[in-house]
Amino acid sequence: MIERKEYQDYVSQNAPKSPMLRTLVAAFLVGGIICCVGEGIGDIIKLIFKEMSEKDVATWESCVMIFLGSVLTALGLYDKLGHYAGGGSIIPITGFANSVVSPAMEYNREGVFFGICAKMFVIAGPIIVFGVTVSFLIGFISYFVV
Amino acid sequence: MRTFRLKNPVYIKSGFTIVGPKEGDGNFGDCFDIVLHDDLWCEKSYEKCESKLQRDAIAGAIKKAGLERNDIDIMMGGDLLNELSSTSLAARNFPCAFLGLYNACSTFGEAMIVGSMLIDGGFAKNITCSTSSHYSSAERQYRFPLELGNQRQPTAQWTVTGAGCTVLSAEAPLRENSRVYEDDIVSVDEGMQLDEKELEKYKKSIEKQKKVINIDKSNIIEDNFSREYNDYMKPLSHYAVVTGGTIGRVIDLGIDDEANMGSCMAPAAADTILTHLTESGMDPSDYDGIFTGDLGRFGKANLEYLLSREGITLPTYYMDTGASYFTPEQKTFQGGSGAGCVNTVFNSYILKRLQRGELKRILVVPTGALLNKDTPLQKETIPGIAHAFTVESREF
Repeated sequence: MIERKEYQDYVSQNAPKSPMLRTLVAAFLVGGIICCVGEGIGDIIKLIFKEMSEKDVATWESCVMIFLGSVLTALGLYDKLGHYAGGGSIIPITGFANSVVSPAMEYNREGVFFGICAKMFVIAGPIIVFGVTVSFLIGFISYFVV
Repeated sequence: MRTFRLKNPVYIKSGFTIVGPKEGDGNFGDCFDIVLHDDLWCEKSYEKCESKLQRDAIAGAIKKAGLERNDIDIMMGGDLLNELSSTSLAARNFPCAFLGLYNACSTFGEAMIVGSMLIDGGFAKNITCSTSSHYSSAERQYRFPLELGNQRQPTAQWTVTGAGCTVLSAEAPLRENSRVYEDDIVSVDEGMQLDEKELEKYKKSIEKQKKVINIDKSNIIEDNFSREYNDYMKPLSHYAVVTGGTIGRVIDLGIDDEANMGSCMAPAAADTILTHLTESGMDPSDYDGIFTGDLGRFGKANLEYLLSREGITLPTYYMDTGASYFTPEQKTFQGGSGAGCVNTVFNSYILKRLQRGELKRILVVPTGALLNKDTPLQKETIPGIAHAFTVESREF
């Protein structure tokens, strides 16, 4: 019929592609807005707790954003945002929360142990593995270098 | 020789379909027997719901054909879930012999071919061919959790939530379909394998389940009997007969993108159509309807390109059921897919047009992409398969 190579080339040339400009603009805007919300929350925390150190404020800010991401996922809104914004809502910490909460919700029906607990990290697992590994490596290097 | 012609007429007694809400809003929305408001239908999981869709589609088709469950010799069916779980769980409600089949989204074609051969050979009198798929259970098995905020690719297709069942028979069908009531579908039937406690719960949820049926769109509701694509309570002018077909072979041209299944299946569809035309000596113009399974819009273009290289132009009435399933506003990108896609269209839209005599001879080519969740991760390419069967319409 048709050669394998020829068909593969035909498909890769003709397959419909994502509209680059629209997706990039959407990702930029939504990602930016999520980060602005995060900064705003940090400022509010600073206003309320004046003695809090800069580092603690950043930690609390992340916690609030993770909470918001989880709540929006549970309400079924974060995936709609994701369909529109793509990377803009995946990259911030709210996206990480979404990637943990969504499988937990999905596998709820298989029970607590082998459902929620076992499957919670099917998406976020690689992020955690790489995060831990890289922080270990950097700590190791900085111990000798600095 | 992969093409066969049946010696005896194998009649299509009835077809019954149940679909989810998004499908009810699609292009074939007014053709289905039951459209649901909610794709969980009072069940605890989407898998359970899919199984229930299939169980009720089979029960509905048997009722619509005017048969009893004991009249069915063999049930044949399949779905997309691991180890055919939804079909097997549906089959436990019936006192019939059961054969589970799997050919991904082309399972319906496989069931129709095997079923009509068994009847033609005299090994069975009545056979049900059913398949089902569910968007949410397929997403979870093949892709990502529903609530994950990722983007679908422009080549992706939308798994149809729905189940359908055809009753094949060695006996000619009746001129009028038997009426199916809501109570036949949502009820406690004697074959139900439930413990007492669960049975009590089920009985309590029956009223709730009935409310999930969309009374504006479902054809089994009496108010809709006057609609154009409603086949209850009016005599049919024609009946449909399966006359032959071509069994497909597995074709792999090295596409490894699981989000582009139309391109994996198009070469298989092209091969089956070419083989069918050569071996049967037919021309595309001999058919007044050619329907492929779920290639999607891009896959359909691929098939047309592949066939045009062989000097075959498909007629303008050629339709891909997946590509035509949803409206562009529903944002499914390439259209519908899944084992329930071609099945629900065949048992509603196509069968009704055959029974009204609008189509005389058609070729249906369900297509399937043969993969599981692990094969693409193990760097395997995705082979495709397509089976073809021909159906003719004859006057009573």
